[in-house]
Amino acid sequence: MSETKISARNVQVYYGDTHAIKDVDVDIDDKTVTALIGPSGCGKSTFLRCINRMNDTIDVARVEGDIHLDGEDIYDKAVDPVQLRAKVGMVFQKPNPFPKSIYDNVAYGPKIHGLAKTKADLDEIVERALRRGAIWDEVKDRLNAPGTGLSGGQQQRLCIARAVATEPEVLLMDEPCSALDPIATAQVEELIDELKRNYSVVIVTHSMQQAARVSQKTAFFHLGNLVEYGETGQIFTNPKDKRTESYITGRIG
Amino acid sequence: MMDESHIQSVFDRDLEKIQTLIMKMGGLVEVSILDAVRSLANRDEELAMKVRENDRAIDQLEEEIYEEAARIIALRAPTASDLRTVLTVMKISANLERIGDYAKNLAKRTSVLVQMRPIEGAAEQIRRMGREVEAMLKQALDAYIQRDATLAEEVREQDAEVDLMYNALFREFLTHMMEDPSNITACMHLHFIAKNTERMGDHVTSICEQVIYLVTGSMPDENRLKEDRTPYVRMGAGE
Repeated sequence: MSETKISARNVQVYYGDTHAIKDVDVDIDDKTVTALIGPSGCGKSTFLRCINRMNDTIDVARVEGDIHLDGEDIYDKAVDPVQLRAKVGMVFQKPNPFPKSIYDNVAYGPKIHGLAKTKADLDEIVERALRRGAIWDEVKDRLNAPGTGLSGGQQQRLCIARAVATEPEVLLMDEPCSALDPIATAQVEELIDELKRNYSVVIVTHSMQQAARVSQKTAFFHLGNLVEYGETGQIFTNPKDKRTESYITGRIG
Repeated sequence: MMDESHIQSVFDRDLEKIQTLIMKMGGLVEVSILDAVRSLANRDEELAMKVRENDRAIDQLEEEIYEEAARIIALRAPTASDLRTVLTVMKISANLERIGDYAKNLAKRTSVLVQMRPIEGAAEQIRRMGREVEAMLKQALDAYIQRDATLAEEVREQDAEVDLMYNALFREFLTHMMEDPSNITACMHLHFIAKNTERMGDHVTSICEQVIYLVTGSMPDENRLKEDRTPYVRMGAGE
């Protein structure tokens, strides 16, 4: 059994007067892929963004409750959000490589976090990250080419490589495949399966089939509530809550 | 089934279609059971022939259901109760097909038995047994279409009655064969018929379990309690 990596208790998020997340309690396992599913506006992305304090960057957003990473309160005053985000990496919906070379895209994080002492160290980190991103073979001969020149699927895998370059412990993915074709999607899904050996992966997806394919645990959000959380197999064959059933079977919920 | 409909209404129509096919198949199988035991009781060779021919339509329906179910899985990726609907449809159609085969076999043996001296009372008892199984099947299919797990559980328990009828027939055939060896051929055929009818009941039980799975999401935990078989083991008819 996996150990708990992230523990959220009584989490509330407000955007101004809007109560976007209500009383969410959840334990997210280490070395596991956890899928967050639910209709648009249900709060799944908002919750994802709580885990690396991305909501801090939104003025009107207010987060209450406790979120612990390995038992430590990530909203503690002493925690530096930038350091936190090195530990909790994020991959976004649209591939967003920096307008720099493939090499520099990956090297940027390790450089600013001082993870490499020498050029050789940095080369090694970049290669390891690109290998973990399952894109090394495709780019090893053109590391100085711009990252933006890659195909969409390659760009997304580059972004994943960039996210893992700082040796994070948690990887958050916000619809990482929605801009990709089926082949690139399959490659990223295969990669996610690889990544779970080292990381706790939390993925927001609108594709229920993707959630079913890649995750071991699934959390269903609806109107800001965490309605049901359980083994993915159970959620997709025999959900306990009628709202989960309505949503995953494509009925009006 | 859930009261709400799918956002994609064509998905609802697909699911309705396979369930309509199951009900149609169930109807044909019910007729086959009744006709088969009636052909035996009335020594009606023509009716027996009709049962054998009608089995083809049952087999074709099973195939059609299988293909439709495969198509739904491929195109709609059903989940939760939709998935269970498709899975149970496939399993129930296989159960129905087996029951249909037993009825056909019964009809085949009828064609042989009409050439022989009847065994007193046997055909009538088998007819009662067949009617019992047919009534159970009707209720099991009702339970299916109404998503009624309680009714399915009740029908499941009725199978003990069919088992008792079979045990009684078994003892009777044994007595007839011991009394007069010239009864052996007919009694062997009749015993196969009784055993096959008892097996039909087991397939109905399996349909009931599918209904329970469809409604509750899990199979019933324990096996139905078997009746005490001591007298019957002593007579050397171990299972």
